[in-house]
Amino acid sequence: MVVQRRKLLAGTAALAAFPGIARSQAVKPRVTFISQWSSGSDGAAITGLGKRFEQEGGIWQHSPVPGFTTDMMNKLRAEIIAGNPPAASQLKGPEIAVWSKIAPTVNIDPLVEAAGYEKLIPSELIDLHKPQGHWIALPMQVYRTTTLFMSRPAMKKVGVTKAPKTWAEFNEIATAMKGAGITPVANGGMRWDDGMRLEIALSGISCDAYRAAIMNLDPKAMKGPEMIEALVQARKFQKWMDPNTAAQHYSVHLPAFLKGDMGMLMMGGWAQGVIKNLGGNLDDVLITSVPQNEGKPVFVLNADSMIFWKRKEPDLTAGQQLLAKLMMQKDVQEQYSQTTGSIPVRTDVDLSGSKWTDGQREASAVLNESFKSKRVLLSLAHNMAQTNPITAAMIDVITEYVHNDKVTPEQAAAQLVTAVDNARG
Amino acid sequence: MRARLGRYLPLVIIWLPLLINAAHVVGFTAWTTWLSFTPSDLLPEYSWAGVRSYRAVLRTPSTEIAYINLLLYSVGFVGVSTVAGFVLAVLIDQRIRIENLLRTIYLYPLAVSFVVTGAVWSWLFNPGLGIEKFVRGLGWSSFHFDWIANRDYALWTIVIAAIWRGVGFAMALFLAGLRSIDPDLHKAAQIDGAGPWRYYLRIVLPGMAPVAISVLVIQLQYAIKTFDLVRAMTGGGPGISTTLPALVVYDFMFQRAQLGRGTASAVLLLLSLLVVLVPYYAYAHWRARKDKAHG
Repeated sequence: MVVQRRKLLAGTAALAAFPGIARSQAVKPRVTFISQWSSGSDGAAITGLGKRFEQEGGIWQHSPVPGFTTDMMNKLRAEIIAGNPPAASQLKGPEIAVWSKIAPTVNIDPLVEAAGYEKLIPSELIDLHKPQGHWIALPMQVYRTTTLFMSRPAMKKVGVTKAPKTWAEFNEIATAMKGAGITPVANGGMRWDDGMRLEIALSGISCDAYRAAIMNLDPKAMKGPEMIEALVQARKFQKWMDPNTAAQHYSVHLPAFLKGDMGMLMMGGWAQGVIKNLGGNLDDVLITSVPQNEGKPVFVLNADSMIFWKRKEPDLTAGQQLLAKLMMQKDVQEQYSQTTGSIPVRTDVDLSGSKWTDGQREASAVLNESFKSKRVLLSLAHNMAQTNPITAAMIDVITEYVHNDKVTPEQAAAQLVTAVDNARG
Repeated sequence: MRARLGRYLPLVIIWLPLLINAAHVVGFTAWTTWLSFTPSDLLPEYSWAGVRSYRAVLRTPSTEIAYINLLLYSVGFVGVSTVAGFVLAVLIDQRIRIENLLRTIYLYPLAVSFVVTGAVWSWLFNPGLGIEKFVRGLGWSSFHFDWIANRDYALWTIVIAAIWRGVGFAMALFLAGLRSIDPDLHKAAQIDGAGPWRYYLRIVLPGMAPVAISVLVIQLQYAIKTFDLVRAMTGGGPGISTTLPALVVYDFMFQRAQLGRGTASAVLLLLSLLVVLVPYYAYAHWRARKDKAHG
C-alpha cells in the first residue's frame, strides 16, 4: 500500500513537471527500438529492460539486428532515409554526434535535469551524449576494455599467484606459460580484437600518449616511442595466441581458457557475462586491470548508449519519456549491469552486494579513481574515440601489422598517420 | 480489336521488361556513378566533389591489396579451372561406362552456394579441425598445413575452393562442345592415319576455341564479383590479406558508411569488368564478320 502511494506521489510530481505527458497519458506509452542485442547476456539484459518497461504500463517493441554494430546501423540508416526511424535505437560514442545531424532527435534535457543525472556520471560520457548542447541520448552501461582475465588453473600450472603489474611481468608469465604448453593469450582474431590489443598495450604504457595519439590523433604521438613500444607489445600478443585463430571470435576459446589450456585474456568486462552465460564458473578466473607501466590506474572506457529519434505519435513520445526515465534509475541500471557484467553508468551505485562480482567491484573502483585523476580514456576499437571511418582506417593498419611480420613497428606507425589523413579526406 | 492487340502485345512484352531492366541496371549504375562524384557520407548528398572519393579509395591500402589479389585469384582460378575442366571433359568423352554418374559428381559443387563452399573449405583448411589434424591423426605428427591462417598463402586456399566449385561447370561446357564435333571428322582423321594426340591437337582444340572463350568470360566475371566465398572463408583475413574489390565496396558502403567512397570503388569494380567484356565483344564482333565473309 505504501509503495503504491509513493508511486502515486511520484506520478503526480512528474505530471506537474511535464504537462506534455499528462495529455499523452491517455495513450499507452510505446517504444520501437532497434539494437544488435539479440542473444546471450546482452539479449537477456535488453529483454529484462523491456519487461520492466512493460511492467510500467508500456508496450515494448524491440527488433534486434544480429551481427556487428554496423549491421544494425545499416538498418537504422535505411529507416531514417525512409522517414520512419525507431523511437529509440542503440548508438554509441562519437557516432551520436554524427547521426544526430541526419535526423531530428528528442531533447531530453528536462528529464536529465529532474534526475540530477549530470552530477552522477563521468564527464567523458556527458559530452558524447549532448553533442549540440542538449541531451539526446543516454548511456546504458559502462565497460572497461582494459580488463585482464587470468585462468586460475593455468596460473596454478606455472606457479603464478598474482596478476602482472607491468608489461615486463606480463611477458615473463606468458613466456612461462608457453614453456608449460599453455597458449598464453586467449584472445580472438577479429578486427576489433586486433585493434583492442593495441589500445590495451598503449594505454598500459602511457596514458598521455594514448590521449594524444588515439583520441586527439596527434601525428607526433602516433609515431612516438610509446606507440612503437605498444606495437612491439601487440606483436608479442599475436605470437602468444593460438596460431589457428584466423578470424575467430574470442568466445570460441573460453572453454579452453576456463580449463587452463589458455592463460590470459584481455577483454572488456562483458566477457564475464559471456562466461556466466556459457555456464562457466567465475571462481576459475582472476579478473583485474591489465598491466600499467606508470603504476597508476587507467580506465579505457566503452559504453553502450541509446539515442531517441523524433516521432510525432503521442504513444511513442510518451514511451520515449518513460524509457529515458527508467534508464536513469538506479535499480534498472543495477539489473542491467548484473546481467551483462558491466558497471552501472551512475557512480552512486553500491556494488558490495552478492549479485556483483569482484571483477565489477574492481572495475568500478578503478573508474572512480581514474575519474578523479583524469585518467579515463575512450576506446578506439569499440568506436568510442573516433568516428567509424577513422576507426576502420586505423584498424586496417593494425590488423595488417599484427598479421604481417614484414611490416615493422615504425612502418605501421607511419601508416597509421597516413591512414588517418586519408580517412579524413 | 483483336488485330490491334495482336499488333501491340509483342511490343508491350518486349518493351516493358526492357524498360524495367534499363531503369534498374542503367538507372542505378548512373546513380552510383553520380554519387561517386559527390561528398556523400552517411546519407547521399548531391553537390559536386570531383574525384575526391576516387583519390581516397586509391590511396587506401586495402584497394591495392584487393586488386593484386584479384589478379592472382583470377589467373589461378580461371586458368586452372578451365584447363582442368577441359581435361576432365576429354577423359569423360572416352565413352566410359559410368559417364552419367561422374558428370553428376563433377557438376555437383556448382549446386552448392558460395557461402556453404566457403564454410566447408574453411573447416577443411583450419589446422585445428581439418586436413592438418586429420593427417596428424594418421600418424604424420610433423605435418604442417596452415595456409588459411598464413597471410602469404591464405589467398590460395580461396583459389582452391573456387576451382573445386568451378571446374565442373567448365567440364560440362567443354563436354557439350566435344559432343558437337562431327563424329565423321574423327573417322576421317583415323582414315588419314592421325593418332589420338594429333586428332585432339589439330581438330578438337581449334574447334573448342569458342567454347573456351565462353568458359573464360563466364568464369572471369564470376571471379571479379567474388564476395560471399571470401566472406565465408576468411572474412578477408588474416589481416586484410585476402580482401577482394567487392569486399572493399561492401566495407566502405556498409561498414564505414562512406557512400562516396563506396560508390567510387563500385565504379572501379565496374570498370574492371569492362576489361573483360570489351575484348569479348570485340572478339564476338570480329567472329561474326568473319563468318559472314565466309558465307
